[in-house]
Amino acid sequence: MLRGDVLRRPSGRIGVVFVAVTLGMAIVGPIFAPYDPFAITGGSLASPSVAHPMGTDSIGRDVLSAVLFGARTSLLVACGVSAVALVCGIAIGATAGYRGGYIDAALMRTTELFQVIPRFFFAVVVIALFGPGLDRIILVLGFTSWPSLARVVRGEVIAMRELDFVRAAVAMGAPAGHIVRRQLLPNLMPTVIVTLGLLFGQVLLLEATLAFLGLGDPGAISWGMLAAQAQGFLRVAWWLALFPGLAITITVLGVNLLADAYAAALGRD
Amino acid sequence: MVLLAYGGAACASERVARDPATLVAAIAGDPGQLNPAITTNGGVHTAAGLLYDGLLALDDSLRPSPALAVRWDVEEGGSRYRFHLRQGVRWHDGAPFSAADVVFTFDKMLLRYHARTRASMASSLVSVSAVDDSTVLFTFRRPYAPLMQQLDVSEAPIMPAHLYAGRDPLRNPVNVAPVGTGPFRFVSYTPHSEIRYAVNDGYFRGPSALKAVVLRIIPDEDTQVAALEAGEVDWLFTVPGPARRRLAEDPRVRLVRSALSAGGSNCIMTLGFNLERPWFRDVRVRKAIAHAVNRPQFVERVLFGEGRAADAPISSGIAFAHANDIAVPAYDTLEAARLLESVGWRRTGTGPRIARGVAGVKDGTPFTIGFKALPSQIVYGDLLRAQLHVVGIDLRPEPLEQAVFAASVFTARDFDTAIGAYCNGTDPEIGVRRMYVTSSIAPVPFSNMAGYRSAEMDSLFDRAGASLALPERRRLYHDIQVLAVRDQPYVWLVETSNLRAYSARCHGFSGSSHFAATAACTK
Amino acid sequence: MTARFVAGRLLQVVPTVLVIVIIGFLLTHLAPGDPVLALAGEHGDAAYYAFMRERFGLDQSLPRQLAIYLRQVAGGDLGFSYVYGRDTLQVILERVPATILLTGTALLFSLLVAIPLGAIAAARPHGARDVGISTLALGLYSTPAFWVGQLAILGLSLKLGIFPVQGMTSAGGDSAGLLRAWDVARHLALPALVLASQEIAVLVRVTRSTLLDELARDHIRTARAKGLGEARALVRHALPRAMVPIVTIVGARIGHLIAGASIVEIIFGWPGMGRLLLASLQSRDTPILLGIFLVVSLTVVLVNLLSDLAYAALDPRIRVR
Repeated sequence: MLRGDVLRRPSGRIGVVFVAVTLGMAIVGPIFAPYDPFAITGGSLASPSVAHPMGTDSIGRDVLSAVLFGARTSLLVACGVSAVALVCGIAIGATAGYRGGYIDAALMRTTELFQVIPRFFFAVVVIALFGPGLDRIILVLGFTSWPSLARVVRGEVIAMRELDFVRAAVAMGAPAGHIVRRQLLPNLMPTVIVTLGLLFGQVLLLEATLAFLGLGDPGAISWGMLAAQAQGFLRVAWWLALFPGLAITITVLGVNLLADAYAAALGRD
Repeated sequence: MVLLAYGGAACASERVARDPATLVAAIAGDPGQLNPAITTNGGVHTAAGLLYDGLLALDDSLRPSPALAVRWDVEEGGSRYRFHLRQGVRWHDGAPFSAADVVFTFDKMLLRYHARTRASMASSLVSVSAVDDSTVLFTFRRPYAPLMQQLDVSEAPIMPAHLYAGRDPLRNPVNVAPVGTGPFRFVSYTPHSEIRYAVNDGYFRGPSALKAVVLRIIPDEDTQVAALEAGEVDWLFTVPGPARRRLAEDPRVRLVRSALSAGGSNCIMTLGFNLERPWFRDVRVRKAIAHAVNRPQFVERVLFGEGRAADAPISSGIAFAHANDIAVPAYDTLEAARLLESVGWRRTGTGPRIARGVAGVKDGTPFTIGFKALPSQIVYGDLLRAQLHVVGIDLRPEPLEQAVFAASVFTARDFDTAIGAYCNGTDPEIGVRRMYVTSSIAPVPFSNMAGYRSAEMDSLFDRAGASLALPERRRLYHDIQVLAVRDQPYVWLVETSNLRAYSARCHGFSGSSHFAATAACTK
Repeated sequence: MTARFVAGRLLQVVPTVLVIVIIGFLLTHLAPGDPVLALAGEHGDAAYYAFMRERFGLDQSLPRQLAIYLRQVAGGDLGFSYVYGRDTLQVILERVPATILLTGTALLFSLLVAIPLGAIAAARPHGARDVGISTLALGLYSTPAFWVGQLAILGLSLKLGIFPVQGMTSAGGDSAGLLRAWDVARHLALPALVLASQEIAVLVRVTRSTLLDELARDHIRTARAKGLGEARALVRHALPRAMVPIVTIVGARIGHLIAGASIVEIIFGWPGMGRLLLASLQSRDTPILLGIFLVVSLTVVLVNLLSDLAYAALDPRIRVR
């Protein structure tokens, strides 16, 4: 029912297409890539042609192949961060909201502290100092991304705690863990999905930005890294900057459109 | 709307007029302070060079000529040097220059804070002393050949003792309002924007034809080029590769190559093997990698034609020592494959080679090796990865910031291969020795990276460093290079050069730190 | 709003900042790599490193270094920069005006553009103009700032030559006074626009949804039923009330704004804190890194506090929370 609502909106349909394109690139892109993205397959800085539809970079590697390989890195990081944020956010938000009292106060102080730490600066400093790597990027972004989710979950849980079906369960002596898992979490899911969708888009952008600053994983091609390499050749090779940026924008736009359409379908426009 | 208003007005704006006798030079970064005697930071040396003098100057072929010292005597077979100083030189603030300034600069600044001078001289130097107001004596424990190459303003600028004595040189406010003896004097320093100098009318070589020099901080190389093309800037210290051809064809621009550079001269981009790793113990593996490297492709695609394929372990810029008759392994992927097979690295599919009976390596291990580099040099790794892939070696480039690179490569020795811009300097003693002798396997950046040990090599360097006779030194350095190629602890990739660009309205530049002292500009 | 409420919120700032300083300190000091090796560049020897370590107090134990640092910070001293050879606070403060000029201009510009656009979109929800504006906003929101910057340089600077490519002032000029202000404004335009594009994207969405909420309220519906014009209802009644959430969002996004400014500074060579941060990371200038981290965190905490207080002052219900 909800799925139909999402797809009935133009934004939802476009979002699904964009996300499907990215997913397709991540899953089968490397198979269809015309070349090995690390191999020299053309001249230095050759402009787009039939052999190299997105041109080549300064040492003669195919840009299209690199863009196709890059999708995996972006999605891997975004999924990893979302998973970390999901686990932390729900655990902390639900505990705080359900228990209340000083546990709530303590958890919320911690959440606020994490929320004021400037995420971008924190990530830049940690990754620059400890060396780049996908694991570190996922952990740093994950541990700074959960607060918004925790707050939303806590608010929902507090509101739901007062609802009849929850009160009834409590009165019947159901254990707290059971109530949270069986009664609260399923009802939380729509809110969590909307928040997570927005987070997913932000993380894609953050990952690209870190890679643009040279803080991506050097072993994994990513769109931000490609855009960073383009910076030195803006004047002579526009194609180096255009295509990786376009790939990021389409992906993030797709995710955001989908999240918007989903929120609208839930009646939260 | 605001955009349109901005844009329209910007088009209508006129260029701000400027004095033709003012030279505007672009520098890439804010030096932060202008005392070159307490740091080896290339940015500080580039920005501050015009303010100071050394005891000697080096011309474009690196021959010493008089500067603050007018004459010198080499005594006791090269273990004592006596410098006679120029009379009547004054600091920019009017105070007289004397031997005390030279002694102070070496004792309290260069030998303490200038890492290069300290590392090369401190262990052999007994003292720097003033015989009288105009004579300075350098006394060494043993004959010390490279001294004459280490006394120009880019290596050993002389600082004013009367402004620095008795104060912490790192925190002295004179560092940002400097006083020197050089062809230009300090006027103003606007952090992150520009530094202004005016001509020193009392300069001992006579005043420059220029009235002023402005150093503009423009971080992006492309923007520097755009500013040169727009006539906003007259001099660039670096020319980015992709812009080189365009500038060479531009009639408003001239290009000039310089032997000297504040960051180090005669640099060779060098691939180093960690000889402690089992897969590099066999010289055939090192030779195979040397054969797999296509050096002309590095010149073409990384340097964009600016530089040359290295054809010997010592840079061609040190003409007396460079050996031009040595057969370094040529590009030959078949030979590389043959060597790897002979060691036991077997090719099974399209992936990396697999060890089958390689000494010290477990059978079945894939030939996958790391490659550490500074972020600015990671492009060498990208190309090397592609070239080695052809012969079945999987190279994984890893960019590391300088602090981490130095600590992991030189202190922890935790690397397989790494690349360094080994600047040979003006004498092999300065920048070549440290790559090969056993005593410089030390936690020091850009020392003996490979961990190469050879008693024969150590003895050759000791004899070459102690000798003052050029033919003998030439012969010894030739032997050193033959031995280095035989043992192949490194692969010498490309010699980088220092290309400068300047506006055709100016002429008379030199390659030294005083690049603008003899220049003149017209409308 | 009682004095107690304000004092209570202010007191919360102190432990927050303390924790942030300690986290930053531990991060920068426990990280692999040796700042002294970076400082020495090539050459140098063990004695030189020991000497420099002593000079910068790096030979002390970590807890002792932390205690020294905390005492310094409490006294308003952020330490001595290894690379710049000057006081850290001074080096950072030199950069602050450029960053404030950039962020301030971008913020002002984005408010001036986003609020009218949001209002136009809210005037007829799901109309053609709303769809256009909302799509534009979502598109901007989905585009990485560095790419907008690259495209802007490619198109507006390099191809059309409308704007200077980089920097804060022209290279050769000896301008002063008004001419100089004009010169800076020309250089400011493109980076400020790129930075503003990100804020516009968010603020349009916030303005639109808040206005729709306000227009749906009973008293406005009643007024409109009694013949209050659409435009008048929007501008006179809904907009002033919508300002509260907009101000809150602006406050809550200050961290994003400064982060965006860093990227823009790096692309356009704008001499602010973002570029200082990147340079200091490369040279491992720990005091500067920590200083920037502290200054940014403090700004975020204080702006959040201010927007909380403003919110409380405008909307008394909040105090109950």
